[in-house]
Amino acid sequence: MMAIRELKVCLLGDTGVGKSSIVCRFVQDHFDHNISPTIGASFMTKTVPCGNELHKFLIWDTAGQERFHSLAPMYYRGSAAAVIVYDITKQDSFHTLKKWVKELKEHGPENIVMAIAGNKCDLSDIREVPMKDAKEYAESIGAIVVETSAKNAVNIEELFQGISQQIPPLDPHENSNNGAIKLGRQTSQTGRRCC
Amino acid sequence: STLATACVISGLPESIIAAACARSGQRVLHVDSRNYYGGNWASFSFSGLLSWIKENQQKTDLSDECEDWRKLILEDEEAIPLSSKDKTIQHVEDFCFGDQDSAEGVEEAGALPKLPVFGAPAAQGESPGPEKESPAAEGIPLASQESPQALGSDAARAAAGDGAGAAPGSGAAPSTAAGDSAPQPAKTEAAPSENAAQEPKKITYSQIVREGRRFNIDLVSKLLYSRGLLIDLLIKSNVSRYAEFKNATRVLAFREGRVEQVPCSRADVFNSRQLTMVEKRMLMKFLTFCLDYEQHPEEYQAYESSTFAQFLQTRKLTPSLQHFILHSIAMVSETESSTLQGLQATKKFLQCLGRYGNTPFLFPLYGQGEIPQCFCRLCAVFGGIYCLRHAVCCLVLDRASGRCKAIVDHFGQRISANYFIVEDSYLSESTCTNVCYRQISRAVLITDQSVLNTDSEQQVSVLTVPPLEPGTAAVRVIELCSSTMTCMKDTYLVHLTCPSAKTAREDLEPVVQKLFNLNTETENEELEKPRVLWAVYFNMRDSSGVEKSSYSGLPTNVYVCSGPDSALGNDCAVKQAETIFREMFPAEEFCPPPPNPEDIIYDEDEIEPEESGLNNSPETKPETSAEENSSEGGAAVTKEE
Repeated sequence: MMAIRELKVCLLGDTGVGKSSIVCRFVQDHFDHNISPTIGASFMTKTVPCGNELHKFLIWDTAGQERFHSLAPMYYRGSAAAVIVYDITKQDSFHTLKKWVKELKEHGPENIVMAIAGNKCDLSDIREVPMKDAKEYAESIGAIVVETSAKNAVNIEELFQGISQQIPPLDPHENSNNGAIKLGRQTSQTGRRCC
Repeated sequence: STLATACVISGLPESIIAAACARSGQRVLHVDSRNYYGGNWASFSFSGLLSWIKENQQKTDLSDECEDWRKLILEDEEAIPLSSKDKTIQHVEDFCFGDQDSAEGVEEAGALPKLPVFGAPAAQGESPGPEKESPAAEGIPLASQESPQALGSDAARAAAGDGAGAAPGSGAAPSTAAGDSAPQPAKTEAAPSENAAQEPKKITYSQIVREGRRFNIDLVSKLLYSRGLLIDLLIKSNVSRYAEFKNATRVLAFREGRVEQVPCSRADVFNSRQLTMVEKRMLMKFLTFCLDYEQHPEEYQAYESSTFAQFLQTRKLTPSLQHFILHSIAMVSETESSTLQGLQATKKFLQCLGRYGNTPFLFPLYGQGEIPQCFCRLCAVFGGIYCLRHAVCCLVLDRASGRCKAIVDHFGQRISANYFIVEDSYLSESTCTNVCYRQISRAVLITDQSVLNTDSEQQVSVLTVPPLEPGTAAVRVIELCSSTMTCMKDTYLVHLTCPSAKTAREDLEPVVQKLFNLNTETENEELEKPRVLWAVYFNMRDSSGVEKSSYSGLPTNVYVCSGPDSALGNDCAVKQAETIFREMFPAEEFCPPPPNPEDIIYDEDEIEPEESGLNNSPETKPETSAEENSSEGGAAVTKEE
């Protein structure tokens, strides 16, 4: 059996650029035109093979806390990667992308893998952000960059594959064993269901 | 638009209430004038703490208090102004014991060293290992472990709870071990022994500045009792998914000028080398009695009017055992606490043993400041709106009904709501004229060694220093190691706390001098003690225990939360949150588990639901799935209902 590594991935970017849609497409291969601003699904997982490991992405959504720039530092804790999303049809969303990168630098872990996604590339006829700009910026900060379309399933898999490849292989001598405890729920409660 | 609930300031009780309200379907707006979460419950990086210190030392009287909002108050309304200045922190004094000048121009290391260009993924030096949230064998709940908990009267219930609590955690261990492909329980030991051979590493002030983001320095110093209300609430509400914890590994005592480890679990007692056989038996006998002391009133009835310390003297315990029980286990006052209070406290301590480890306490990775943020996230997941840097000028009172109907924010914007939760520090002087506050004295030190060096340097220790002079308070010391993610490698973060008698420095410096070496030039005899590299002292207002009736002129639908209290646990904040929530919504359940059909599926056949589409191949299903299964998918479920 291949080793499973759990990798936390956090999503960043302005409200409405399609963060949740990207995850929805990646995890469920599904696209909903009327996806409401993120309420609820703020934690999804998907496992993909990478070399002789399996990468289990634990993808955290912002739960809308980005709207008034009020993301809590705990959101970034222990992230192996961050997907920073802008909308290629909105220059503004590309400008603020840089603010998100700054925020990530302040609060995110060191060595976090950054992936920039220029979403809504199916709407390239009303494009405002040239691919060249994004490429240059990504290079300057050492990030992966792809243009994606959650709607048409373009480059979504590739985005996460790119992240997988950037994740350094696990060094058994590093202290991955940090003694952390996760608190579980009690079975007696899980059986209680409100209908 | 009218909201159901508006919360001001994001401390622990407010955050719990916000989460509970959102969870029960209320529309919640949560605002905080600061640019960080947690209010006085927050934690800071080193540079963040330095700015916090500066801010609180300057205390610039911003008398430019714009009263423009008064124009917005209508005739049939009345305004209750809120305070824009935080007066809860006083007497802030910081000290650097290294060469501060050398740190001039030193910048905090950037979070993001450049990634290698495409095609060279392996070149990145460090794995995200230390940051990675990986459970470990070391701290996993050991249900089978011998501990006095098994003696508990509610052993059956406890065991059932343990089993369940342990399941996800211990289940995770094998998968991690598989991931490591080399489970080496001894590997953490490698580093210390290496260090022992070397000179103790000298950490300079400039290194602290450079590694500043490795620090998460809490303004309050608390631990979670493993059977305390906060742990129960985290588990019940499933907020626990957002945080990870470490066990406090040692309970220490300070006796006759020396720091010693206190054996507290049954295993500890039997393995102790400092206790004689006779002492072991005495101690076990006494602890066993404490676990169900209510069943044996004849044992203590005669001493109900005595202090616990006097009672201990009658119990055929050696002085060192009496000291351990009084100060380190019961953690009660020698002169003031009654026999019953001592027995209760001892029992609480003993009952918490063994649930997650050898001590009764857990500490959240990245600091206590994570906990309010976790509840805020739950609130946000259920639709709560969050605005930091958003000041509130006043509450608007409707004269006719006597109820508060809105707040006016610093933009002059009026936000209507049915209920208002305000933290004490936000209330203006006129509202609080009759309120008497206590104070908490706090010190935070960055040191270079543990107060008690043993084979492993990664220790989380709780130490109670008895009053050095009669009439003063005992000082609680919590020492955190770097694996708690609160300080940089080769340093320790030491928190000292006591109820204030004078300024924090006056209250705590004598204890600091006993335990640590404050001289920059290390002299031979002081070499034993850890060196303090940097220190800060401050007093924090303790508004716990203030009755709502003490505040003047507050409408009934305005609820006041207190700031942090001085106790070790978090029961006070949780109780307060629950009480306020129940007053607001008597019919609603307080933070019920997220509705989650996926749990049922997991219980029945242990297959992850199709709906979440998480598994591409069945054999990859990790044992930890219990946690994901109870995911926030639940929120979506609520919407559909």
